[in-house]
Amino acid sequence: MSNASLEAVVDPDHVQGWIDAIGSDASAAVPLLQAIQTAYGYLPRKAMNLVVERTRINASQLFGVATFYAQFRLKPVGRHMIKVCHGTACHVQGADRLNTSLRHALGIGDPEQDTATNGSYTVENVACIGCCSLAPVMLIDGQAFPNLKGADAQRHLHKHAREHNEILALQESAE
Amino acid sequence: MIMGDAFMSTGQWIITIGEGTCGIAAGAPEITDLLKKRFPEATFKSVGCVGMCHREVMVEITNPTGHKYLWGNLTKKNLPKVVQFHRGTGDLPAALLIRSSEDPNAEGGKYLAMQTRIALRNVGQLNPTSLEQYRARGGYAAIERILRSGMTPEAVIEEVKTSKIRGRGGAGFPTATKWGFARNAPGEVKYLICNGDEGDPGAFMDRSLLEGDPHSVLEGMLIAAYAIGASKGYAYIRAEYPLAVQFFGKAIEDARAAGFLGHGILGTGFDFDVRIKEGAGAFVCGEETALMASIEGERGMPRIRPPFPAIKGLFGKPTIINNVETLANLAWIINNGGAAYAAIGTPASSGTKVFALAGAVARGGLVEVPMGVTIRHVIEEIGGGSASNRPLKAVQLGGPSGGCIPERLFDTPIEYEAINATGAIMGSGGMVVTDSKSCMVDLARYFLEFTQNESCGKCTFCRIGTLRMKEILTRICDGEGTMADIETLEELAPRIKTATLCGLGQTAPNPVLTTLKYFRDEYIAHVQEKRCPGGVCKGLITHTIQNDKCTGCSICQRYCPVNAIAGTLKQPDSWVIDQKICINCGMCVEVCNPDAILAA
Repeated sequence: MSNASLEAVVDPDHVQGWIDAIGSDASAAVPLLQAIQTAYGYLPRKAMNLVVERTRINASQLFGVATFYAQFRLKPVGRHMIKVCHGTACHVQGADRLNTSLRHALGIGDPEQDTATNGSYTVENVACIGCCSLAPVMLIDGQAFPNLKGADAQRHLHKHAREHNEILALQESAE
Repeated sequence: MIMGDAFMSTGQWIITIGEGTCGIAAGAPEITDLLKKRFPEATFKSVGCVGMCHREVMVEITNPTGHKYLWGNLTKKNLPKVVQFHRGTGDLPAALLIRSSEDPNAEGGKYLAMQTRIALRNVGQLNPTSLEQYRARGGYAAIERILRSGMTPEAVIEEVKTSKIRGRGGAGFPTATKWGFARNAPGEVKYLICNGDEGDPGAFMDRSLLEGDPHSVLEGMLIAAYAIGASKGYAYIRAEYPLAVQFFGKAIEDARAAGFLGHGILGTGFDFDVRIKEGAGAFVCGEETALMASIEGERGMPRIRPPFPAIKGLFGKPTIINNVETLANLAWIINNGGAAYAAIGTPASSGTKVFALAGAVARGGLVEVPMGVTIRHVIEEIGGGSASNRPLKAVQLGGPSGGCIPERLFDTPIEYEAINATGAIMGSGGMVVTDSKSCMVDLARYFLEFTQNESCGKCTFCRIGTLRMKEILTRICDGEGTMADIETLEELAPRIKTATLCGLGQTAPNPVLTTLKYFRDEYIAHVQEKRCPGGVCKGLITHTIQNDKCTGCSICQRYCPVNAIAGTLKQPDSWVIDQKICINCGMCVEVCNPDAILAA
């Protein structure tokens, strides 16, 4: 499966629904983008264009906001999202090793790439999620896993993959 | 948790579970499900985070005779021991017990007994989604008293002035003075904003308050809004805190339904309502003017002050932005009097401060102490000292805006001026402790990478200056630094501090300056000896297998991400790490059972 197939199919009625519910003036820019990203996991170009056409928010403001805040991403995501916390406590207790081990298990080598080529998982670094006494922490689809070592991260990933019928790139070498 | 002092025989099992973000992350939902199967007859209650994060998952079980047992570190594996004890078929599993009605001063009891909880007075004691429970603990009495007794806004400001409380967001500006500016500013429409954009990595005080006691924060907003004459409020909460957004939203709905928000509150002429604005992941939005730009739908970039927000703020109207913790203290101040609050702490820094204690300490979590106690008291007495047996090295206060205070200065009292004198700042309350296995240069690099990422790009010295600092620090960590690099860091720092608009840039060099001041020897070791004393910097360490300890199990080989390890199964002498391939990620060290891999 190539990354191209991860592009979301945007339904204009959905976008209109969010505009009706949230508003169409300048201060609606952030909540509108949040609604789009919650639905698609990223900001599809088509959805952003629809917002520009149908609200009083102009393209420079919308794209300016979309590229300013860390929460928003313009690239598609995998079917599952792994967030690795990189707060101070997680950093000093080895959060980097979680990234190394997860990316290894998913066969993501290119530093510019964050999603497995088969579209299964995306590994993203996030700012402190505030569970500092349980560091290092990662989230898979919103579920938190505390007090991890690199190997634990891989074990949880394998378990998650089994439960969700996902195939990992290097399954045979790590189990 | 509740742990009421009086025995109350209820004739039934009551099971209370801590379900804040920490508890959930540690596995509370799974433990709840298991307990529901084992105690189908029990009443289950959910409370916010009590702040003993190191003991999560925590459950309090009250038996039908009214005896309470607070259990910690529960897992699927050890839970049966607790169940067997309560069912009379097993002994008391002492290691899991935090405290009980029979032994209230057990280790866990002391952790709480050594604190003075004002802001956190309800956290972990009530169900955060229950307005009734907040009312039962004296909630909304302060705003009722203000409105029913006809207390003027000026009198409210005066009471808060007497308390001498200073803004808990970090800078420590006197709250009453700030309110006075907005009170006196002309204009029909004024705004009150709750700043819940707790962006400092290593800080979770505001999260715990918004999640564990949202009504206290909301009541604080009502008091502040009444004082300055605001009719509209926003709670700006960062998106990384979904549970806080959910619980605060519920609190707003319930308060509105009960007549504490909306038009004509409690039958008086006071109108006030609150909307939540979720942040979208930008550290700079904790800065007042950037936060307002973000609410207005713009990129969160700071504006030049003056005009100050109290005169011309959100949508051009007078606006006050108060931190979550500041707001959580207000109802207590009105109920107990400003003088009672001022009596706690020191003359210049009154009251208490909440810290999020984390890192290399034995007992991490939420700690609220009177101002004036020493850093050592918090780390060693309450936090229990080092978690490993390694000596502690430093404490990082104030996140990316703060600095590292070395162990020899742990006797510094916790008050704004004394902490500023060390080069660090009080900050919002993040307290990350490090031990001898940490690298101060790496920590400085971590923070500069953070501020560089989060710089909005408006001021040149912040945009480019922090980038140059990060590049230099990375070079030093990689073993390629020179002594001239250290001089350049010292030359850049004051320029970044003085030539930037907002707090982000003005404080960005602090982590570098404090580590250079207190840990210069570590910088020199990296530059001149090409050595990382903490054994952290990947470019300066090598991993080798000590064949006398190796068992030849091959687990390191399986976890090595770059296939740098080779050997024959069950032949310890055959195992080697190919240094040309090894990336020093440390995965092998973590998985090696006999501890045979040396990183130095």
